[in-house]
Amino acid sequence: MNVEPDAVESLSRREMPIGSEDDVVVVRRAVRALAQKRGFNAFASAALTTATSELTRNVWVHARKGIAILEEVADGGRIGVRVTFEDEGPGIVDLERALAGGFSTARTMGLGLSGSRRLVDAFRIDSAVGRGTTVEIVKWKEP
Amino acid sequence: MPHRHYMTALRLDESEIQTRRSYFELGDDDLARLRTLHGLAEKHTDEFIERFYEHLLRSASTRKFFPDDATIVRVKRAQRQYFLQLFEGRCDREYVQQRVAVGVAHEHVGLAPTWYLGAYRKYLALLQVRLFDDLPAAEAQAAFLSVQKIVFFDMTLALDTYIAAHQETLARHQAALRELSTPVIRVHDGVLLLPLVGAIDSARAQQVMDTVLLRVAEEKAKCIIVDIAGVPVVDTKVADSLVKTTASVRLLGAHTILTGISAQVARTIVHLGVDVSTMHTRARLQEGIELALDLVGKRIAPVRAKRSSGE
Ligand SMILES: Nc1ncnc2c1ncn2[C@@H]1O[C@H](COP(=O)(O)OP(=O)(O)O)[C@@H](O)[C@H]1O
Ligand SMILES: [Mg+2]
Repeated sequence: MNVEPDAVESLSRREMPIGSEDDVVVVRRAVRALAQKRGFNAFASAALTTATSELTRNVWVHARKGIAILEEVADGGRIGVRVTFEDEGPGIVDLERALAGGFSTARTMGLGLSGSRRLVDAFRIDSAVGRGTTVEIVKWKEP
Repeated sequence: MPHRHYMTALRLDESEIQTRRSYFELGDDDLARLRTLHGLAEKHTDEFIERFYEHLLRSASTRKFFPDDATIVRVKRAQRQYFLQLFEGRCDREYVQQRVAVGVAHEHVGLAPTWYLGAYRKYLALLQVRLFDDLPAAEAQAAFLSVQKIVFFDMTLALDTYIAAHQETLARHQAALRELSTPVIRVHDGVLLLPLVGAIDSARAQQVMDTVLLRVAEEKAKCIIVDIAGVPVVDTKVADSLVKTTASVRLLGAHTILTGISAQVARTIVHLGVDVSTMHTRARLQEGIELALDLVGKRIAPVRAKRSSGE
C-alpha cells in the first residue's frame, strides 16, 4: 500500500452515541482511556479530555443528539487521538463569532469552542445551518 | 400496592389498554376463542407446569430463584393460576393489574427479562404441540394466533413494569448519591468546606449551588472552601457553576475559596479562557483553610515553640 508521508492513518475506530447529558461523562472517559493507553502525559490527557467534554456537551445542548468517533491515529512516527463530533442539529449561524469566544446562544459561558481549539493540536469545524455540525480534534502524544 | 403504583406510572388506563389491544390486534374474537380453550388448557395444566419447571430447574440461571421445595410448591400454584388466566378471555384493568404485578415481582427478586422471556417461549412451545394434537389444524392455527396475541400483550406489560421499576431504583440511588456527594463540613466558626468528588452534571451543579447557599446562610458563614481535587474534569460547565455559586455566596456576604487545583487543571482553565478572578484560589486545601481562618481573623499556631535539636 502506498501511504503518503503526512497522511494520518487510523489505527482504531469506535463510534459512540451522544443522546443524553450522561454521555458527556461516558465519551470523555473513553477518550481519557485512549490517551492513557497511548501514554499521554497528564497535561495532554487533561486537555484532550476537557475538549471532549466541551464538544460532547455542545452536541447534547445545542443539537440534542449525535455521535462521537474516537480514533487512535498515527502520522509518520507520531501517535495521537482524534475525536470527531457529528450532529444533524441546527448548525452554527455565525461561525466566526462562535469561535471568537464569549458568545453563547444558551446563555452559558460561550467558551467551549474557542477553549477546545486552544487545548488541542488540530481543530477543524464544519457547520451548515439546518444541516448540522462536525468538529474534529486531534491531540498528539509528545515524543 | 406496588402494582397500583405502576398502573398509574405507566398510565395503564382504559384508553391505553385499548390502544395496546388494537396494536396487538387482540380483538374480542380472540378473547372469545381463548375462553373456548379454557377446558383444553385445564386438561393439560399439570403437564405444562411440570415441564415448565423442569425447564427452569435445569438451568443454573433460573434454578437459583427456587431455593427450596416449599418455594417450588408455592410458585407452581401461582403459575397454574397465571397460566389459566390466559384463557379467561378477559383483558380488563384487573387482568392488566395482575400482569403488572408479575413484572414487579420479577424485578423485586432480580429475575432478568431474559429468563422471563425465555421461560415464556417454553410455554408457547408446549401449548403449540397440544393445540395441534387436540384440535383440527385450522382451529389449532387460529387458537395459537390468539394465544400468541395475549402472550405478547402480557410480556410487554411485564417488561414495561420491569423497566419502570428499574428506572425508579436507579433514580432513587442517584438522588441518594447526590445528597451524599454534597457534604458541607463546618471547619471552624464561620468557615465551611465542600469537598467535591466526581463528575458534575447539571442536576448536581444545581444541588451544589443550593446546598452551599443554604448552609452559608444557616451557619452565617464568612467563608466557604470548595475543594475540587476530586473533580475529574473541570470544563466550562463546572467553571460556570463555580463562578455562579461564588457570585451568590458573595451576595450573602461570604467569600468562596477554591482549592485542590492541580497543575493540569490550572493550565486547562487558562486555555479555556475562564475568568476565576472572583474566587480566591489556592492549590492545596491546607492553604485554603489558612486563608479562610485569616479572613475570619483566626490563625493556626503551634502550641509551643519547637525545641531545636542543639539544646
Ligand atoms: N454542535 C453544535 N450545534 C449547534 N450550535 C452549536 C454547536 N456547538 C456550538 N454551537 C453554537 O456555538 C455557540 C458557542 O459554543 P460554545 O463555545 O461551546 O459555548 P456555549 O456552549 O457555552 O454556548 C453556542 O452557544 C451555539 O450557538
Ligand atoms: Mg459549549
